[in-house]
Order: sequence, then structure tokens, then C-alpha cells
Amino acid sequence: MAWLLGLGSFLLFGILLLHLLVALVLIIPTWRIFVRAGFSGALALFHLVPLIGSFIVMAVLAFSVWPNGEAAPGRRLT
Amino acid sequence: MMGGEIVALMGLLGLSSAFALVGVVLAGWMAWRIVEKAGLPGWAGLGSILLTLTGVGTIVPLVLLWIFAFMRWPRDEPTGGASGFAAGATSGPTGPAAPRPTQALPPPAMKLADGRGWQLAGTVAGGAAVTLAVGGVSGSYSITGAPAAQPTDLCLPDPSVGTPHARLLTASGRLGLEDLGSPGGTFIDGARLLPEHGPRDISAARAIRIGTVELALSRT
Repeated sequence: MAWLLGLGSFLLFGILLLHLLVALVLIIPTWRIFVRAGFSGALALFHLVPLIGSFIVMAVLAFSVWPNGEAAPGRRLT
Repeated sequence: MMGGEIVALMGLLGLSSAFALVGVVLAGWMAWRIVEKAGLPGWAGLGSILLTLTGVGTIVPLVLLWIFAFMRWPRDEPTGGASGFAAGATSGPTGPAAPRPTQALPPPAMKLADGRGWQLAGTVAGGAAVTLAVGGVSGSYSITGAPAAQPTDLCLPDPSVGTPHARLLTASGRLGLEDLGSPGGTFIDGARLLPEHGPRDISAARAIRIGTVELALSRT
């Protein structure tokens, strides 16, 4: 029984490590996007939230006014 | 019994598919809005999300995310019309000590008969009141935390102000501000002005923050 618990813990640790690695790959570019948009880069840490983290990050960027300004409709490439 | 389990499983799979569909649509919509705010066509954002549905998988969208984060956005490209002052903007951030040549301002779209000057008033560290005044004629002024060495230097004696920190540009009744990359930062009505933004027209602005010094903008 103990070996089963040990295996479970090992798997859990592996999943956690993988989640952190994937989140890190997303956090680095998102951090820069947030900073360029005028927000705190720490908002990119929402990627650490399982499942809905990326949606939170995208929602913040998509539905808020960027403090550093947004491209005027006339200046957007089409 | 077995049939019930199969139905339940199929229902669960259907629910998962519905959630996935809603998630993809939502993500595509948000990606469209995000890239549009940066000045790129919205379909590029939507397309990058839809790529996850193809055999390409998630690697390409991930690479696109990195490219989007570090590429130059059309939003930051200098304009010759709306702001006017950004016509001479250069690309990329500059260090605080990097000397930048004075940029010539383009002629205004319409000549304004306004010879009034500008005044920036506030309080520096220690509670001392400070006022920066510039004339209405064309010129370039350097905002610096060091004592003024030239007639065009505007001294703002505060530890948070760089040496130099920012540049004020005046031309035909308009006032421009350009951040020179000082760590303290420059803000126009609370919005951060970055060096890559180049000169921005602040004629209609109310409050300017240089480092931690809040300055109220008014006409003289």
C-alpha cells in the first residue's frame, strides 16, 4: 500500500512540475505583454491558476483599457 | 446497466465538447480584441487560437505568443498626424544616459494663433514647490534632476527624477513630452509613457508625473 501512495505522490509532483513549466513558458511572454500594455507584469501569474488561468489573463487584456494606450481604429492594420 | 453508463459517458463527453467549443470561441474572441489593441489585424489572433484545433497543436500558437510579446506593435509606430510629436520617434527603449538628438517637430495641421506658454507646477521631495515654465515658441527642454546647466534645462530636484529624465517639446501652441528611459518613469494622466512611444502630445493633459513628482499642467 505504501508503494502505491509513494507512486501517487511522485505522479502528483510530476504533474505539478509540468504545470509550472508550461505556466512559465506562458508567463514570460504574457508578462511582457502586460507591461507593454501598461499593467503590472505580475498579472501574468494568473497562468498558474489551473484550467482557467489563461482565460483570466486573456480577459484582462481583452476587456480592459490599456493604460499605455491602444491602437486607434484608424491605425489598425486590416 | 451498461447502457446507462454508456449514455452517461456520452453525455459527459458531449458536455466536455460543449465546454471546449465555448472555450475556443471565447479565446478566439479575446485574442481578436487583444491583437487589435496592439494594432494588428484581429483575424491574426483568432487564427492563432484556431490553430490549436488543427494538427499543428499548441506549439505554433505558443511560438506566435512569444513573437507577439516581443515584436514591434503597430500601436507604437510613430504617427505624423494625430499626435504630431511622434513623427520623429525612434524605436526601442533607451537608457537614461543615452544622448538623443533634438528632433524637429513637424508643422501643425492647422496654424494656431496662440502664443501662450505652459506651466508645470508641483511639489518635490521635501515639500518644496516647483514650477517649470516653457514659452509658446518652438523649442526643446530637458527635464532633469540635476542643476540646470543650460538655458533649456528644467531642474526638478527630486531623487526620483533622472538626469536627464524627459524632454518637453513646444511647437505652435502644442506641448509634447518624451520619456528618456529613466527608471522613475513618466506618466501622462496616470498612463505610463515609455521611451519607445516617442514624443506624445500632452497639450490636453492635466497631470504629468515625473518619477514621483506630480505636476499639474496649465497654460500661462
